[in-house]
Amino acid sequence: MKQISLYADRNSFVHDLDPISKLYYILFSILVPVILPSISVTLICSFLSIILLLLAKVFKKALPVFLLVFIVLITVVIIQGLFRPGNETIFLKIGPAVFYKEGLLYALKVTLRVTDIVGAFLILVLTTKPSDLVESLVRRGLSPRIGYVVISVFQIIPEMTSTMSTIMDAQRARGLETEGNLITRIKAFIPLLGPVVLGSLVNTKERAMALEVRGFNAQGNKTFLNEEKTSVLSKPIQLGLLLIVVMAFVWRLLT
Amino acid sequence: MIRVENLTFSYPDGPEVLSDINLDFDMRSTAIIGQNGAGKTTFAKLLKGLLKPFIGDIYIGDTNVRDTSAAMLAGKIGLVFQNPNDQIFKSRVLDEVMFGPLNIKLDKQTARKKAIEALKITGLADKLEVNPHDLSLSEKKLLCMASVLAMDTDIFILDEPTIAQDHTGKETIRKIIQSLKERNKLVMTIIHDMDFAAENFERIIVFNGGKAILDGDASFVFGQKDILQQARVEAPAAARLAEELGLAGTFLTEEELIKDLRQCGERAQL
Amino acid sequence: MTKIIADNLKYKYPLSDKLALDNISFKVEKGEFIGIIGANKAGKSTLCQALTGLVPHFYKGAYGGKVFVDGLEVKEHSIAEISLKAGIVFQNPFTQMTGSKMTVYEEIAFGLENLGIAREEMQKQIDHAMELMDIASLKERNPFDLSGGQMQRLAIASIIAMNPEIIVLDEPTSQLDPEGSEEVFLAVQLLSRQGVTVIMAEHKMEKVAKYCDRILLLYNGEIIDFDTPGKIFSRDDLKQYGVVPPIFTSVCRELGVKKSGTDEYPVTLEEARAALGRKVK
Repeated sequence: MKQISLYADRNSFVHDLDPISKLYYILFSILVPVILPSISVTLICSFLSIILLLLAKVFKKALPVFLLVFIVLITVVIIQGLFRPGNETIFLKIGPAVFYKEGLLYALKVTLRVTDIVGAFLILVLTTKPSDLVESLVRRGLSPRIGYVVISVFQIIPEMTSTMSTIMDAQRARGLETEGNLITRIKAFIPLLGPVVLGSLVNTKERAMALEVRGFNAQGNKTFLNEEKTSVLSKPIQLGLLLIVVMAFVWRLLT
Repeated sequence: MIRVENLTFSYPDGPEVLSDINLDFDMRSTAIIGQNGAGKTTFAKLLKGLLKPFIGDIYIGDTNVRDTSAAMLAGKIGLVFQNPNDQIFKSRVLDEVMFGPLNIKLDKQTARKKAIEALKITGLADKLEVNPHDLSLSEKKLLCMASVLAMDTDIFILDEPTIAQDHTGKETIRKIIQSLKERNKLVMTIIHDMDFAAENFERIIVFNGGKAILDGDASFVFGQKDILQQARVEAPAAARLAEELGLAGTFLTEEELIKDLRQCGERAQL
Repeated sequence: MTKIIADNLKYKYPLSDKLALDNISFKVEKGEFIGIIGANKAGKSTLCQALTGLVPHFYKGAYGGKVFVDGLEVKEHSIAEISLKAGIVFQNPFTQMTGSKMTVYEEIAFGLENLGIAREEMQKQIDHAMELMDIASLKERNPFDLSGGQMQRLAIASIIAMNPEIIVLDEPTSQLDPEGSEEVFLAVQLLSRQGVTVIMAEHKMEKVAKYCDRILLLYNGEIIDFDTPGKIFSRDDLKQYGVVPPIFTSVCRELGVKKSGTDEYPVTLEEARAALGRKVK
């Protein structure tokens, strides 16, 4: 079964942690560098994210994402280094291009922040089953309908791509040329849309009925088959993270 | 018409779906039967050029399927898929049926003529302007058949034509197959409905575990009880009843069985 | 004990000007296995949906008469409430999977979670349903990786786990191969022997004749007859309603051979053998 989720099944204490603590961690990673905007704080936070990814044994899976992000960040470095208003101190000259210290420092800060936040999100995404995350949220009051939509997307989209290839075959069988230059391909794509959209509408209607008769709209409280994943560490971690955010805030106010 | 030599196929990273198939198809109408997962649909897709052989060759007439594309084969070999919702995409029945003929470069006039003919045969001639999605499932299946018939290919492959059809629908399909045979077309089907297969197809091929394990005319194939059992295929109802009654020979249809039992009865009275 | 009462049910889909069901009245007793047969568009699916509240609650439209399932009037109760009394299984096993559960076990739990069943009770009911449908060995598999027959049995198990008195199946085998169909029929027969009332719309007459206690024959939205397979398939005018009896029946009818001591033609392989056997020897 194909899955579009990035979840990587490993044995680590990060995996054992509950999804909500990981959400706290994301909040922490965003807020702390905002409250205390010094480069050293941001640096510490990014290191923390990377260390956690390493401990969760998912750093390799995180690399491609980081790489993608860095490609985008290079443009930030170039633009800020060259043109940031307030650029005064020349840092580096390459031919006619002059990089300024102020701009580069700013770009470094942005880069670190992005690394930190992306890292925190990856910790959540790579070490948590989507269904576990959504279930945790539903327990905390998220509408089960929204929860259902979010999880089912992970399974139903791969199914739709396989339907797509059947449809493509059916059109090729009737002489539609799908191989060749871009225009041929685009032309071939249009007849696919009808059956895909209509097919999924029909499926959605049938599925809606099937869900309905399984009490999807039942009044009253829902129960859960799986016990909620909690670890003895959950509460201390969540409190600790909150405490650090509050302390950072107080520190900021006092200094 | 079709020659299959040493055909072996597997999907990427998957086990072998078909192994070392050698078959020649002449003009006899042919039904391919066997359990789900026996490789029947994969085989049809290979004939149609939608998949390429892993090992071995398939010739449609003189053309090696390897050297051509599914679209180029469209004028020679028609394939009706099992699920009509995967193929219907125009908003008018007539346009849906004209799509194929136009693709194989027939002019508009001829395409229209062929389309209307095909819709007549399938009993949908009064629905030219209807939106295909307002049709019932059984009508949609007939529409898909019409849209391949209109291309007037020499070879037709029907994937599970009788699913969702009631008695009337099956009768319509029976007549279509008859008229194709009369016009010297090669009709092939992949089918689970043994009664229908026994009544309408001259040659039966049994697939099991990616191999063609039995091949011959219907009365020969449905007489091979042990092999059928191994492939987990049930003989037609008439054949099963005849066996229960201990009649000699293989009976494929109700009529054959009735005739024989009548003679039995007459002999008993003598 | 009467489990289903339909009293002059009439129904028209929105945007349609023809009654999809008209003057439908019948009763079904506990534990019966009822087959619904008829040509396409005779109203089989609509009737199945009317027994489980999808008609009129999901489809809206004009509705007349009354339907009671296990004492509950369908029109006056929500689909979720009715689902506790009467569950429904549809044609396409694929669209009955929620798509939000990763294993067979969790898939069956979906309905029970919605109903707020306590965990221990839930596990008991899931285990029972898996055992009845013979899918316990598939417990940890992803629902979408199953074969058609397995997936359909999972769909039935998901309904059975909710413990309904009645289960309605709308052509559950039409997309399955012969082996998958047989699996489903055997599983459903087992259910009916456990006292569950079964209503099944079906095209495969040989199976209907073999497994059903009584058959409801529909034509143009009306009930033509409601009787045992022997009586229904012995009718002279069946063809006129777009229904063809099992080959066993047609052969015997053609030869004028009836089941001994009755006025009915044989409908199953066994009955035909018994009746014809005398003649052959």
